[in-house]
Amino acid sequence: MHEYSLASAIVTQIEEIIKKYNVIRVKKIIVSASPYEMVIPDLLQEAYKIITHEMEKFKDSELLMEIKAAEITCIECDYTGEPTEEGDPEFAYNFLCPKCGSRDTHINMKQMIIETVDLELSEE
Amino acid sequence: MVENKQISVKKKAYVVNDAIAEKIRNTMKTKNKRFFNVMGSIGAGKTLILERIAKRLSPYYKVFVINGDVATTIDADRIAKSGATTVQINTGGGCHLSASLIQKEFDKINIDDYDIFITENVGNLICPAAWDVGAEKNIVVVSITEGEYVIKKHPIIFKGAQIAVINKCDIEGEDFDSKTLVEDASKIKSDMKVICTSAKTKQGIDDLITALGIDIPKRE
Repeated sequence: MHEYSLASAIVTQIEEIIKKYNVIRVKKIIVSASPYEMVIPDLLQEAYKIITHEMEKFKDSELLMEIKAAEITCIECDYTGEPTEEGDPEFAYNFLCPKCGSRDTHINMKQMIIETVDLELSEE
Repeated sequence: MVENKQISVKKKAYVVNDAIAEKIRNTMKTKNKRFFNVMGSIGAGKTLILERIAKRLSPYYKVFVINGDVATTIDADRIAKSGATTVQINTGGGCHLSASLIQKEFDKINIDDYDIFITENVGNLICPAAWDVGAEKNIVVVSITEGEYVIKKHPIIFKGAQIAVINKCDIEGEDFDSKTLVEDASKIKSDMKVICTSAKTKQGIDDLITALGIDIPKRE
């Protein structure tokens, strides 16, 4: 379950960010990823709960994953951007390049972004 | 008083791992070292292939192999008998190696003492695909006993690889067929190098070493 490693990487980054603030607790983290990122949102949330279970500043916080468009790079014409349709029926990740029509395309993986973190801060 | 605040982060989730991986890649390039990441299912034949490679290259190169497994030092012990220096990482349940795990092992040795570095990643075709270990090339090993659909079912790991090894080709016949796997590995990525091997009979091992871009000195 690589979602555990991913959730751990997210928590590590958030811990670093919240050092700059007078944080009472983290309320919500929003990440975004394409449907082709090999991440099952439920498993990511499960892993996040396991990791943060005993972390006081993450108590009752939630990790939400928003789905964003996939990004491909065409080997033939160097187009980088969204594919216009689903992958090849035989090869699920061979997307059609909207510019030149080639299916010799590379799906850009590991594009998960930590978008925002909602914090409860102490004003004191 | 309590204040609620939303912070815009906009950072890649993998940024820490990828930064370490890039550092490893740069170090290897600067020092003119070779570093390869071998991935594949449990039982695909990764360890025997690495034993063959280590045996073939050890007379000419200093080879360092990092094995990833949930438990035991079986694979590292096996490959060590073929002339490579080996170290075993036990992930204790983790399903992949990561750049930080590799960096920790490199910190324990002098990189200059070796010429070629190889990781044998934890055996599965899913999780290792997402975690860059800093290698110059990713190699995926599948065996013909895994079924003719194994590449179609696991496209991502192949998309991120430069070499696909179709192993156990010595048992090609009525029940097992390499043809579909070779075709699929070629179709999934136009610049994929596809090598048929039998680690058991040593078929294709030299072809694989050549595909890695390693010169095998001629025997005297």
